[in-house]
Amino acid sequence: MRLKTGSLSNGITRRCFLKVSAIWAGGAWIVGVPALSANPYRVLTDQEAEIMDALADCIIPPGDFYGGKDALVTRFIDRQIGPYGHLQKEKEMYQTCLSALNRGSKAEFGRNFVDLFEEQKIVYLTDIEGGKYNHQSNERGWGRFSPSAFFNTVRNHCMMGFYGSPDHGGNKDYVSYRMLGLF
Amino acid sequence: MKNKHVNAIVVGSGAGGGVVAKELSEAGLSVVLFERGGWAHYAAHGDDELTAQRSFPLYAFFGPDNERYRRVAVDRDGNQRIVYPNDWAYHNNAACVGSGTVNYGAMAWRFMEEDFTMKSTYGHIPGSTLEDWPITYADLEPYYEKVEWEIGVAGDDYQNPFAPWRRKPHPMPPFPHNREAQILEEAAKRIGYHPFPIPMLRNSVEYNGRPACVHVRNCVGFACPVDAKNGTQNTVIPMAIATGICELRIHSQVVEITMDASGRATGVTYFDKEDRKQTQTADIVVLAASATETPRLMLNSTNRLHPDGIGNRYDWVGRNLQGHAYCGADGLFEEEIYDDFGPGASVAICDFVHNNPGITGGAMLANEFIKLPYAYSSGYRPPGSARWGREHKEFQKANYRRNASIRGPVQEIPNFESRVEVAPDVLDHWGMPVAKISGFKLDEDIKTAEFIADKAEKWLQAAGAYKTWKNIPGTGVSGSQHQSGTCRMGNDPQTSVTDKYGRVHDVDNLFIADGSLHVTNGGFNPVLTIMALGYWVSDYIVNEWERGNRFR
Ligand SMILES: Cc1cc2nc3c(=O)[nH]c(=O)nc-3n(C[C@H](O)[C@H](O)[C@H](O)COP(=O)(O)OP(=O)(O)OC[C@H]3O[C@@H](n4cnc5c(N)ncnc54)[C@H](O)[C@@H]3O)c2cc1C
Ligand code: SF4
Repeated sequence: MRLKTGSLSNGITRRCFLKVSAIWAGGAWIVGVPALSANPYRVLTDQEAEIMDALADCIIPPGDFYGGKDALVTRFIDRQIGPYGHLQKEKEMYQTCLSALNRGSKAEFGRNFVDLFEEQKIVYLTDIEGGKYNHQSNERGWGRFSPSAFFNTVRNHCMMGFYGSPDHGGNKDYVSYRMLGLF
Repeated sequence: MKNKHVNAIVVGSGAGGGVVAKELSEAGLSVVLFERGGWAHYAAHGDDELTAQRSFPLYAFFGPDNERYRRVAVDRDGNQRIVYPNDWAYHNNAACVGSGTVNYGAMAWRFMEEDFTMKSTYGHIPGSTLEDWPITYADLEPYYEKVEWEIGVAGDDYQNPFAPWRRKPHPMPPFPHNREAQILEEAAKRIGYHPFPIPMLRNSVEYNGRPACVHVRNCVGFACPVDAKNGTQNTVIPMAIATGICELRIHSQVVEITMDASGRATGVTYFDKEDRKQTQTADIVVLAASATETPRLMLNSTNRLHPDGIGNRYDWVGRNLQGHAYCGADGLFEEEIYDDFGPGASVAICDFVHNNPGITGGAMLANEFIKLPYAYSSGYRPPGSARWGREHKEFQKANYRRNASIRGPVQEIPNFESRVEVAPDVLDHWGMPVAKISGFKLDEDIKTAEFIADKAEKWLQAAGAYKTWKNIPGTGVSGSQHQSGTCRMGNDPQTSVTDKYGRVHDVDNLFIADGSLHVTNGGFNPVLTIMALGYWVSDYIVNEWERGNRFR
């Protein structure tokens, strides 16, 4: 039998997060963000969050309605990859790939990702999406993750954070619902 | 404590199982209705698209959970991967009291007469296991009627010239159209199609003590906020419980059908809410766990007489997995056609379900349910459109209220290699081998999809769409919400799993009553047929019981 998955043994562990899920099922956050911390995030560092904000604004740019950053897409992702989130299995990917993205930006453009011009960011992300850097992912610290697969996942998560229910941490002020004329 | 012996066990409280529990208990048989999930109410879920049952990118609120459940998905090249319930490749329906009938779109289609005689209508299709059903539309007609009146359907088939004959009208008047559907209805008439209102398992007027639909946006994938959607959880299951002799046992995962030395079923073993292993004995066992989980249960139940799984002497259990080869077209309009009058889907045509030259079968076509914001961000745009960035956001803003989609569930031609097996080395939370799903669509299905998508595109063009494009399905195995066919009924024990009453060929007291029984899956959503089969199978059991047959 040919099994192309590295997680077989992982797949049969009996981890059970059901009780935690029940908190979510109510649709509201019962566990809040620690109030005193300067960094409002649970998982992402300041630097990672800054890169994520910039990325979110490329995927959903600001204009007459919030972009990804102001809609708090980064908070959505941080919550979901955090201890009570539903995308925990993507946590390592974010921790690896956000800094790899920045490392690549320095190598290609000589500047941090957040400091690139908008046009440069878009060129860079379009290349990542198209698979241009997939073959050299090792040198730039992407680890076991493919840059284009990472981009696809982030794109999807940004859409979830922007267009999904504000209960999950994004879509601030129901911005996407207002933009679509639903609110 | 030992569980008290009962007359009948029903495994699964979805579309088929809910009906059987009610019919048997009302006839005086004591019943335990097993359900692995619990009750799922609107109040606990609300309007959250990211966990609703249609795409659930975060998790599936209506179950099953990602912690205890998994399956193995095999692609066309034979690559296998472990998948979790909120991955499309898991082929999820739901896991709660009522299953998909709590959160479905509630389209209430009767199959047409030809759908029961596909082989005699179209002949043998190479590479397929296309076959006639052992029963006809006429056999099932009274049971369709029962579903429509007991569970509740709103519609008017007399407006559909292709509708199969019926003796009684639907009990509730049909639903009105929203702006989009009105435009589509008029256009359909202009080009000679025959549009009519989709029959729905929703209340257009107050019915059975529950209110009329209030037309919200979040219907398909969600529980109903006013309880106007009719599933088994708010109709037949409460009726079963009201008999006083049907116990609904929730959070109970059935893992095996137990047998005696002669190969008869004696009951089931299951894990209760606290993960304690228990047994329940009964005179009769009815499997209604869905077209994936019913065959899995059978394949996981072996003994000396059934070394390859109960009922699997000829290797037909799990074979012929079908769903629908969904296809259609999308279009953009200059004007706003969106008026926020839910649930969206309401106009259909049956012009192309059969009698299409050179095509095997076909599909009903209907307008799509309202696309929710996240869903609209990733699909429903012309090929080559921006997937992100400024252009993407502008597209969202400009077109969310100016688009329409037509979709059709193309009837698939069954094949032996599309199947559910068990993966002996991948276990669930309770240590049981999980379902492994593999297979493909035949070229014939894609050909039909192309034909049907073209009809859909013409319809949108006639309605005034300035840009249209087609949707053709991939060649991977179907299943998912419309999964069926894996324990087909038939007259020949060598080429089917049950007889025409849903009784497993070599096990006198083991029955099946879910989508697994379908020989073919029609060019329609399947649930009304599954419910009708629930009544049909129950009728046979009750008649036998009343004749004194105790299945011992
Ligand atoms: C979002 C959505 C929209 C849909 N829209 C439509 C529509 O508009 N029209 C239509 O015709 N159909 C629709 N469907 C499909 C419809 O819901 C299914 O066809 C139908 O529910 C299948 O019936 P079934 O009896 O075969 O299985 P199910 O209804 O899935 O019932 C199986 C039950 O068995 C339980 N079970 C499984 N294994 C075990 C076990 N080992 N132990 C205990 N319990 C177990 C499951 O939890 C489940 O409750 C929709 C489905 C979904 C999810
Ligand atoms: S559209 Fe009608 S049936 Fe559907 S959820 Fe809303 S009120 Fe209920």
